[in-house]
Amino acid sequence: MLGKHHIIVQSAHLKYELDVRRNITIIKGDSATGKTTLADMIREYVLNGMDTGISLSCDVPCRIIEGNTWKEQLMAINQSIVFIDEGNSFVSSKDFANAVRESTNYFVIITRENLHALPYSVKEIYGIRSSGKYNQSTPVYHELYSIYGTISDEEITPDVIIVEDSNAGYDFFKYVSSLNTECISAKGKDNIFNMITSGKYSGNVLIIADGAAFGAQMANLYDLSENNDELNLYLPESFEWIILDSDILNDAELRRILQSPEDYIASEKYFSWERYFTALLINKSNDTYLKYSKHSLNNNYYNDKIIMKIIASLPANIIFKNNL
Amino acid sequence: MLNVYFGDMAEAIYNTSAYFKYNYEREWITEPKIMEMIKDIDKSVVLGNGAIDSPVLGVIAPTSLSGGVKTLILIDKISDKVFNASNCGDNCAKWLLNIGEEKDVTINLRHIMKFPSEDFKIKIINENKIVSNMKELIPIAGRYV
Repeated sequence: MLGKHHIIVQSAHLKYELDVRRNITIIKGDSATGKTTLADMIREYVLNGMDTGISLSCDVPCRIIEGNTWKEQLMAINQSIVFIDEGNSFVSSKDFANAVRESTNYFVIITRENLHALPYSVKEIYGIRSSGKYNQSTPVYHELYSIYGTISDEEITPDVIIVEDSNAGYDFFKYVSSLNTECISAKGKDNIFNMITSGKYSGNVLIIADGAAFGAQMANLYDLSENNDELNLYLPESFEWIILDSDILNDAELRRILQSPEDYIASEKYFSWERYFTALLINKSNDTYLKYSKHSLNNNYYNDKIIMKIIASLPANIIFKNNL
Repeated sequence: MLNVYFGDMAEAIYNTSAYFKYNYEREWITEPKIMEMIKDIDKSVVLGNGAIDSPVLGVIAPTSLSGGVKTLILIDKISDKVFNASNCGDNCAKWLLNIGEEKDVTINLRHIMKFPSEDFKIKIINENKIVSNMKELIPIAGRYV
């Protein structure tokens, strides 16, 4: 499935409004914010339709799967938004991850667990906030807010940069790091937490990882960073997205795609957006002197003009060698 | 003391709402501490053992309380089972500590809950260690969730 889907679920006293734009959306947060009530209303509407007094507006069907028969339920659902409430242990299973991969459905999962088998974005982790009270003339209104949405604009001069990637992305950040900065590859996102808590690295530490698939690692590292002023996170969609976003390929279609990637990234083809951005960069640069390979960075990327252009597209508050 | 096992725990009751629905006792709901939990987390007032006034949902049955409150009640009232406390949000954390101050209780967490005070006492069963603040808790818990 493609695109952003706007959902409004409403009863006499409650209203939920949310946008779903990727194959995996997570809803978590405090108790009693209305997560289960949202799932309940969708379940009721699916079972009994308009007889419930609930209205559900969306350009694709919304469905619920739950319990031990989730696989059978899911087999009958296509091109839909599938909600899964808290209390369904299958969401952390490999079987479920396999079902999400190549699915034409989008999934909205209510859980506080870190789902390591799923590559979900740090941008698609939400809480619910509400306004209004029962019995007022307007329904109590609920909307999503991004839990990890705020990016610090404090200046960061890293003493250590830990890069998730071990290939082209690592090559790039090692090259642009200041002389006094140690740049290390974590060789995978699951290793970052243990590296940080090992006590080996001191001073200002900057973690650079692919935000498009870092959702499962985010909560723990965010908690660590809240307790450590010297730990900072930079989570672009992916390294390939940084290159595409820097406009070094000077391609009008690319600019259009980056404005609304959800209109181009089919859930059944790309398990997460960073895989799409890699494929896009390889495809777009193929016949150019900037031909991209994930394994190592083409020497032409080290040209001063190219490097400066890429650095210019990075957050201005992170101090690298060439923008000192 | 509050004992926490982080990560998958086969014997823990995962779907606490389902367990609550078929196992709660009506008289629990009108106990002062439970009424206080319901007021604090769900912002709801207990009218009687079968009716609760919610500011969002109107008058509801105990089975329609939030997943967090239902899990807290189970943890408080049923001591021979371990419940999945990841059905509780951070706004339930102080109540877990409160229960742990009154009795020895074991819970299962599949995420890192933000406990509020700086001087709590939590035993992390996975490593048989007692921690007293989040700075100590996160590096250990993060290895398991």
